Amino acid sequence: MSKIAVYGKGGIGKSTISANLSAAMACAGHRVLQIGCDPKHDSTKLLLSGRKLTTVLDYMRRTGPLEQKVEDILGEGYMGIGCVEAGGPKPGVGCAGRGIISTFELLQRFGLLQRYDTVVYDVLGDVVCGGFAVPIRREYADHIFVVTSGEFMSLYAANNILKGIQNYDGDEKRVAGIIYNKRNVKGEDERVKKFAEAVKLPIAVKVPRSDAFAKAEALGITVYQMGEDERLQEIFSRLASELDKGIKLYSANPITDEELEACLLDTSVSEGFSAKNAGENERENAGENRTENMQGGSYTENEAFYPTENRDLHSKDPDLGNNTSSKVPGKSCERERDNAVDAGEACGSPLEKPVYYFSKSLKNSEPLHGCAFNGALSTCAHLKGTVILAHAPKSCTYISYQTISSSGRRRLFERGTLLPVSLSPSIQCTEMGESEIVFGGMETLEEKIEEIKKSRPKAIVVVSSCPAGIIGDDINQTEMLSDNETKVIPLRTDGNMAGDYLQGMLMAYITLAKAFIDKSVKPDMSVVNVLAEKIIDTNSESNLKTISGYIGRIGLRVNCRFLYNTDVDALVNFKKAGLNLLAFGDYTGKMLGDYFEKEYGAEIFRKPFPVGFDNTAKWLRALGQRVGKSEEAEEIIKSEQEAYNSRIAKLRPVLNGKKVLVITYNHELDWILKTAIDAGMEIVKIGILSFSQDEGFRSELDLNCPVELEYEKEKRTEDVERYKPDVLLTNYASSIADKVRISDIIPMCPEVGFESGVKTVERWAQLMKLNRKGDWTGDAEIFNKYYAR
Amino acid sequence: MQKYLTSITPDSLSGLIFALEGIYDGVVLLNGPSGCKFYHSSLSDGQMIRSLDFDPLNYPEKWYFGQPHVPCTSIDNGDYVYGSEEKLRETLRFLRENVKFNVLFVVNSPGAALIGDDLRGIARSEIKDRPVIVYESPGFSENMPKGYVRAFEAAAEYVSRDESISGQGNSADCGGSDASKKVNIIGAGLWRRNFQGDVEELHRLCKMMDIEVNCMLMAGCFWQDICSLSDADLNIVIAPEFGEEIAKKLKTLTGTGYYICDSQPIGFKATEQWAREICEILDLPEPYKIIEESQRLRARCYPLISRLNSLTGMPTGRHFAVEGRYSEALGYSKFLLKYFGMTPDSISILDADMENCKEELENFLRLYGVEDSLKKPILDTDAEIVLASGNTIGGLKLKGADFGGIDISLPSLGYIDVIPKTHLGLSGAVLLVELVLNGLKF
Repeated sequence: MSKIAVYGKGGIGKSTISANLSAAMACAGHRVLQIGCDPKHDSTKLLLSGRKLTTVLDYMRRTGPLEQKVEDILGEGYMGIGCVEAGGPKPGVGCAGRGIISTFELLQRFGLLQRYDTVVYDVLGDVVCGGFAVPIRREYADHIFVVTSGEFMSLYAANNILKGIQNYDGDEKRVAGIIYNKRNVKGEDERVKKFAEAVKLPIAVKVPRSDAFAKAEALGITVYQMGEDERLQEIFSRLASELDKGIKLYSANPITDEELEACLLDTSVSEGFSAKNAGENERENAGENRTENMQGGSYTENEAFYPTENRDLHSKDPDLGNNTSSKVPGKSCERERDNAVDAGEACGSPLEKPVYYFSKSLKNSEPLHGCAFNGALSTCAHLKGTVILAHAPKSCTYISYQTISSSGRRRLFERGTLLPVSLSPSIQCTEMGESEIVFGGMETLEEKIEEIKKSRPKAIVVVSSCPAGIIGDDINQTEMLSDNETKVIPLRTDGNMAGDYLQGMLMAYITLAKAFIDKSVKPDMSVVNVLAEKIIDTNSESNLKTISGYIGRIGLRVNCRFLYNTDVDALVNFKKAGLNLLAFGDYTGKMLGDYFEKEYGAEIFRKPFPVGFDNTAKWLRALGQRVGKSEEAEEIIKSEQEAYNSRIAKLRPVLNGKKVLVITYNHELDWILKTAIDAGMEIVKIGILSFSQDEGFRSELDLNCPVELEYEKEKRTEDVERYKPDVLLTNYASSIADKVRISDIIPMCPEVGFESGVKTVERWAQLMKLNRKGDWTGDAEIFNKYYAR
Repeated sequence: MQKYLTSITPDSLSGLIFALEGIYDGVVLLNGPSGCKFYHSSLSDGQMIRSLDFDPLNYPEKWYFGQPHVPCTSIDNGDYVYGSEEKLRETLRFLRENVKFNVLFVVNSPGAALIGDDLRGIARSEIKDRPVIVYESPGFSENMPKGYVRAFEAAAEYVSRDESISGQGNSADCGGSDASKKVNIIGAGLWRRNFQGDVEELHRLCKMMDIEVNCMLMAGCFWQDICSLSDADLNIVIAPEFGEEIAKKLKTLTGTGYYICDSQPIGFKATEQWAREICEILDLPEPYKIIEESQRLRARCYPLISRLNSLTGMPTGRHFAVEGRYSEALGYSKFLLKYFGMTPDSISILDADMENCKEELENFLRLYGVEDSLKKPILDTDAEIVLASGNTIGGLKLKGADFGGIDISLPSLGYIDVIPKTHLGLSGAVLLVELVLNGLKF
């Protein structure tokens, strides 16, 4: 596949040249895709007979990720050339560079590039921020042309582009040469020649000024397609042919601005094109076919110049190495988009690991709760033996650090418990400052990685923030810094640009799974993994202890917690577990289950950690059945059933006939509803508030009460007055709490096991007997008097 | 042990937001993603509860995400590309029509700061009847005090310009004094571990000196208090890293002089000196009430320390470690060394490029031959008493260190202070005596 980036100053003719090159490549039998990377989005119009495409960025803005389809942004032009326009904001607002990054992420998710054997990127070169440098990145372009005229600003932009390339490549060779698009400005041949000499590049093509371009444009087609000017057709055919044969590539050797000025000093750069001399120059060019010598080589005007010694297009020069194009004619990677497929693994560069698993917020285009950066940091911190390196300003890292460590500090303070991951997460920060923001942060990042490597962690996971994403720092490059002792694992969240907190968690799960899990490990049915424990849930440890107690009695033990306080070795041996238990059956839990089932062939026990008596009994029964330990499971259930019945019997005299109103964010309530019903209580109504990271209310109970989804808060007072509940079950004691006898809180992550429901209901019974809420509840008025502002 | 803990500290974004959140009748709108808001909103509410309502349904998810403070525009990937104007306008309209405030602060998140939206033009076109102050850049990894200073600098134009408001100040908890002298206090704020207690103690001490607090700058003040900063006779700087630059700016704007004590007023002697110097500057009589209370409290402490000393030899000579900015480190070190006779083992400086009090600290330590303590990182200390943030104390505990920890900065270990506490002034001195005695190992 040839991946050709055409860079140049705005208005220099890049789009015209790109379109003609695409046309020539297509006519030579290639499957060509042209991607316009310019906010004015007119790169492909000559290939589409003037038809306008929906730009990728407009499309992404109004279409949720699961609804996105490649055909909505892909146009088919002349000779079947695939056409895509990135688009971008109107001038003066937003960040067009960031738009290019987003565009490429989407194209990669679609696996679009793999469908073609030739990709032409038409890229604006005036702006030199990281976003516009995306096509320069190695995995995108293997040939780079720089388009310039002889005007100073055009040459200045060309030199800047070379600087950008050099930043990425160092001495590597990817520049295929200069495309000289003549403007017929006086002295421009000399200036371009001098510039080419100074930057040690050949003039690959010289495109003469011609009315044919304007005529073709008026027809909405390329000069190549129009076919009226054979000379022009020949130029592009020859360039296509050179590319086909394996064009010689060069390293970028930009010169300083001072050198550029000095280089052009003795030519009248300020002289502009005038109508008068235009005609003369046009005639000159038309009649000319002279040969010039440059850099020891020769070229005929209107055709490519290459140093003579490099004309062997099938060069044996070992330096050419991978830089020589390796076209696979007619072959494309036909991979259809699939929401649960990682195309990067199959078709793309190993550097890119796009995520195809979307959080609920992202999927439904809801406001993003938190950022992927924080979610990834918090998740990765649970893999012990690694260092998480935040490529971010201090604030981003500090905020995430507090998210992780607050529970650790509380546990230390409350009970003297030391939770290593929470108390002291292994996180470092590149402390991006103004300098990194303006000049790019890759150098600082690489230095920091080298510094951390001295402590020989098993891995360094690099997570990127919004500023890193906006300026276009390509953290994927850091993977190259891996060595035998330390893996460097990039995780490009770009703050919240990849999505919300849960999306960051999903990205971290997938990235770490790919990086460590050994697929060759054989499963053992006596061990299980635990998936999707909530890292912010303070019950996680005690819940696992409860579950471990049950499964221990049926002969199972835990192998790997994915991911919660996990050793790298346990993660490597993930596949040792014969069965994988889900801690939660919510959206994230299900998605993680799907992932391991699909990608690792793991067997997922789909019933989540059970809450309440009935759920726990069902869960144990199913698990016992699956592992051939039904008798042991029944024994546990039997003994617990007796205890439960006895406790419920004691509650009935107090709770029988009492009414419960439920207004909650929780979507799984059977554990408490069933216990309340067992105790003789009446559920009068369930209102589900429309604020949740979960997928929707679900119940296996035969409920004889109204269940109102999308419940609106305004109804609370009305319902309390209407139903007169004895117990109001909610998540936050709200202003109506004092209007009911008992107001109780449903925890977002309840305790697991047989006892959770009965413990709660016992508390209600106790409160009924006491008939006291506490004097403090009447002091709101005093607070408002003295403290409210 | 990880060396990184000291690099995980708040930066200018937090300094900026916490400073502005310290103004009761202001709203701080973050033009950024919710990820930048949650922590700041949560901490602001924890430090200064202004409304009983904690029901998420009353704080629309779209902007407040169920929290009472720091609404945000919730910008996402598309907004970085196309600009945040649409969301910003929508949020501003919501605030204008649904939320009570006298001043609006719009702060760009670090990411939003890079896309160059015209915050000022957009905000002022939507909110025309009240001051709107915008912060295009929160700074990138700059020190927290710089954010605090930045917060004030943008507001400073209202101090000099809006003179008509001068004289209508309404400082919280200050009411009704007949005092003839007024001061502004600069450098307290929500980011301090004992914010409420600090403010109360400073008010109490001022009252004991017969001084009225005109404005507790961005630490529980109203917008009008800021506009009438020029009413004060003196600006008192509590933490020079935060306050010195502002005091100098106010000197230029209003002509009011300022006072910075040698260190923060931590301990009996430092508080006495602080009060004496302020009275002297304001031409007030000796602060005899403070001197007298100081003596009574020292008398109260004496037998307790004496008993301990008789039985164990403590606290004299026992090691302590401090982590903080120069002025904090100097204040705590002076008190622990001079009052208790304890020895500094490690003094770790945060935001070390803020060099206010640097020389004073170095000279002080040199005087006692303990300047090497500045070279020892706090995570390597084996001191018996460690004064640091909850993170550092937690990290040392995890390492197995055996010490009594006193959390002097946020994040705290999580203790909920019903009774406001402070380490400043006389109340602070007594509390520190209590904490040190209880932190030593018998």
